[in-house]
Amino acid sequence: MKLEVKDITKSFGDKQVLHGISFEVQSGRALGLLGRNGAGKTTTIRILMDVFRANSGEVLLDGEKFNQRKHLIGYLPEERGLYPKKKVIEQMVYLGRIRGISKSEAVANSKKWLKRLGVLEYENAKLETLSKGNQQKVQLASTLVCDPDIVILDEPFSGLDPVNSRILQDVVMELIGQNKIVIFSSHQMSYVEEFCKDIVIINKGDVVLSGDLDNIKREFGKNQLVVSAVDKTLDDLENIINEHMSDILEITGRTKEELIIKNVADVSRKQILSKFISENIEIERFETYKPSLNDIFVSKVGDADEKEAAE
Amino acid sequence: MKKFGVIFQYELMNYIKNKSYVITTVIIALVAGIIMFVPNFIDIGSVTGENKNDVSDENSGADSDSTILVYDKSGMVTDISFIQNFYHDDAIKKASGENELVDKVKADEVSAGFVVNSLTDYDYYVYNQSMTDDNQVVFTQVMTVLNQMVYCQKNGIDYASLTQAFNPQIDCHENILGKDMGSNYWYCYGLVMIIFMIIIMYGSMVATSVTQEKSNRTMEVLVTSVDTNLLFFAKVLAGAVAALIQSAVMLGTVLISYKINQDKWGGMLNMVLDIPANVLVVFALFGIGGFLFYTFIYGAMGALVSKTEDINKSAGGVQMVIMIVYFITLASLTNVDGIMIKVTSFLPVSSYSAMFARVAMGSVNTWEIVVSFIILVASIVVVGIIGAKIYRMGTLRYGNPIKLSNAFKSIKEN
Repeated sequence: MKLEVKDITKSFGDKQVLHGISFEVQSGRALGLLGRNGAGKTTTIRILMDVFRANSGEVLLDGEKFNQRKHLIGYLPEERGLYPKKKVIEQMVYLGRIRGISKSEAVANSKKWLKRLGVLEYENAKLETLSKGNQQKVQLASTLVCDPDIVILDEPFSGLDPVNSRILQDVVMELIGQNKIVIFSSHQMSYVEEFCKDIVIINKGDVVLSGDLDNIKREFGKNQLVVSAVDKTLDDLENIINEHMSDILEITGRTKEELIIKNVADVSRKQILSKFISENIEIERFETYKPSLNDIFVSKVGDADEKEAAE
Repeated sequence: MKKFGVIFQYELMNYIKNKSYVITTVIIALVAGIIMFVPNFIDIGSVTGENKNDVSDENSGADSDSTILVYDKSGMVTDISFIQNFYHDDAIKKASGENELVDKVKADEVSAGFVVNSLTDYDYYVYNQSMTDDNQVVFTQVMTVLNQMVYCQKNGIDYASLTQAFNPQIDCHENILGKDMGSNYWYCYGLVMIIFMIIIMYGSMVATSVTQEKSNRTMEVLVTSVDTNLLFFAKVLAGAVAALIQSAVMLGTVLISYKINQDKWGGMLNMVLDIPANVLVVFALFGIGGFLFYTFIYGAMGALVSKTEDINKSAGGVQMVIMIVYFITLASLTNVDGIMIKVTSFLPVSSYSAMFARVAMGSVNTWEIVVSFIILVASIVVVGIIGAKIYRMGTLRYGNPIKLSNAFKSIKEN
């Protein structure tokens, strides 16, 4: 299956919040929807789920208009909500049945997911009596109770402790392994990096970057190196590069212990190393720059903000 | 349709499993049922003061605690027992003077007092006059008869034969070919009140249930899982069925218990509880229709707010309409063939009580009932569809209550 979002726009009153969002995701792959608060991630997801109607654009599944009612979808909304005064199993079975599965299937699936998430002991407890973390797990179990083909999780890691986050990661990996379409939004880049094949970065209603994460990282790190020197601070090293090597290198950033430099003259690494040696710099580290998703995110969203400020 | 059944069942069970629902239904039905069996154990006449076995005693007033004093200035009232014949519930006693009479009335020692100035003039004294005080009317009658007797005496006419000649006994055989408004009035009044209470009470319950789903954020999960129309219709209908079950249990217990004990009650409650089957059928059809009509509106009003304490803000207007309809119908019960009730019996906002009142007490053609019912059913469908759209539109709009005009605007834009 291939889910495509094509050029969707959305306005609330006079304010346009989405300016033409497009991306696609296939079965067996997870798509990470990234963006700052208010970027438009949740609005995009709600349009996908037909909670909101887009002003223009379309959502297609295998080339056909996506009809949410005809497919089993597991949706975890950003605003978590279940019946606080109802028993856990009772409402899970109900949610499973209204999505189209039989009662026996709903009961079996509910128990399976409650067990998988370690909250089976609370199946007959009222939701309001559970801790916040366990309520979150019940919500996730309810999302998956119908054994969905498409899983859409809006900020699934928020409110989870590291142990529960690990469990959720494992569950998401399983879903990907089961050839399901998984879309989720998150602020936690490390999780996205771990199991997302594709990413979409949205900033102020625009897609500022999208595609295969490995390719993006490769492209982003292209012609870039990380470098550090023995007995020299990063500031000293930066000064030397700016004063004596600016014809071939440009400093693009820094990590905690290294400078990130760009080979602007397309010279060989051997020549760059020779240049450092000629400047009497004892190299400690010299290797290809592999950007983290966090670096890419900050760079892309920061660039967009800077451009806007300049305008 | 299967999903509709699942939602309907879940929502209905929510109501039926609710402890307060069960307790209220059982206790009220039980208490009402027990009351209907009371005449089996005690003489109901002694409780209501209407002892059917009592034979009217003309002199019963002599033993009464209530006393009326009479002071005769004119000297025309020679025999006080003549006045006593007119007052069965009060003891008539002579006062020695006007001051004594006034003092005793003022001290509340007697219930009232009359000072007869002449055959055609008297003063009436009472401390606090009740709304049902008819002492003056009776005393005027006493004085009229006294005048007639004095006139006959002066002119040598036999008063007894004159009275007989002027007041012959007339036998009347009542044959009501249409409806007896007198006897239908009370149950009609009662049923209009019942349907009014059901709409207000259960309508608010449905609105609360919708708002709660919005405030606990369940709504987003629901509307993304199933068609909103199914969700809204199933939800409202479940509330309606829960209301009908409760009302039917309560009303049914009262009616069946009364039927069983009708003889023991001596027909005392016939005017309220002996409701003809055809009237009950019309009441049920129009009552359920009106109830559904308003419950859909209440459901939509619930979706316009996100906190249960705000429900009155959105549903206040609807409640006002229901109350106006209620008062118009009650006011029209004394003139059920008037133009006002004829008009309101065709409007979906009021036909649930107005048409029923016309059927119970007035003259109405079958085609009028059919047309009114068709209008009501069509209106329920329209209100249901619009309600579902408002419900859908209100799903994720939190914060201040949404104005109805803005809701319609949003629906139009989508």
